[in-house]
Amino acid sequence: MGVIRKLPLYAERIPGGSLVMTSLEAVLGQAQAKSLWYLLFGTACCAIELMCTGASRYDFDRLGMIFRATPRQSDLIIVAGTITKKMAPRLRRLYDQMAEPRYVIAMGGCTISGGPFYYDCYSVEKGIDHIVPVDVYIPGCPPRPESLMEGCIHLQEKLKKTKLGDWQEKQA
Amino acid sequence: MTRDELKSHIAGRFEGRMTLLDTGRYDPMYEVKRSDLLEVAKALRDDERVKFDFLCNLGGVDTGERFEIVYSVASTINNLRLDFKVILPYEAAEIESVQEVWPAANWHEREMWELYGINVLNHENLTRFLLPDDWDQGYPLRKDWDAPDFVRMPEL
Repeated sequence: MGVIRKLPLYAERIPGGSLVMTSLEAVLGQAQAKSLWYLLFGTACCAIELMCTGASRYDFDRLGMIFRATPRQSDLIIVAGTITKKMAPRLRRLYDQMAEPRYVIAMGGCTISGGPFYYDCYSVEKGIDHIVPVDVYIPGCPPRPESLMEGCIHLQEKLKKTKLGDWQEKQA
Repeated sequence: MTRDELKSHIAGRFEGRMTLLDTGRYDPMYEVKRSDLLEVAKALRDDERVKFDFLCNLGGVDTGERFEIVYSVASTINNLRLDFKVILPYEAAEIESVQEVWPAANWHEREMWELYGINVLNHENLTRFLLPDDWDQGYPLRKDWDAPDFVRMPEL
């Protein structure tokens, strides 16, 4: 990422450099969007829908999304399920272990606001945006696989529009 | 042994130590005094006619006026079930461990200690169990518990 962040500075000095850069941005955006590998992080019943989405009927792979079992290889963490207060530091740690650029999808009511555990509950975190920055929220309890794929496609659209300059901003 | 036979056996064997509570058509529920708990538990386990050798469940209850600790035991030999409870006032929330009778009580008692703040005497490992390691907000299953981000269900 270090090289890529400096690239616009050098490229735009040479004639026609900005043209190269915009094409490069488009290519990189496509590449990122079409190979979003996600970290397996299922803590409750949303994980069942996530598994279903990954299996052959809905076939997540056709979006270029493949599950990874380690944060080091993941671009995206799909937080599928209730995050308890005890789990919150673990989630933060996994997020911190992921390489930039990294994205977060909050799947289901529990991750958005605590969902069914909002009232009368001492143990559930009321929304994971207290812990990690969230890019896409998917409501539902749990969301159907179609909803999940819709959310992922929204994230892909966002990635395709990302400029190299935005990376720099996010880093800072 | 039928339920009525069990009731009459308990009434004879544990005269004065186990009081039958009214539970309608459900399994019988007895009240045991705190001072009699270990003795009664041992006798229930070792009595030839019943042999309650299995602790199904051990749980605390906060009724808003007092604590109740409910023990559900079963006999795998005679196919019997029995519940009994010990009633504790708020100001003396303390109970003997029944681990020496049923070792399965270990985790249940830790959970009860952690979530209700009922002190368990002679427990071999009374340490933080379910709550986060740095928890400092008291006993969350008590009726009067509160915390900054705790939201009560509004009256509908």
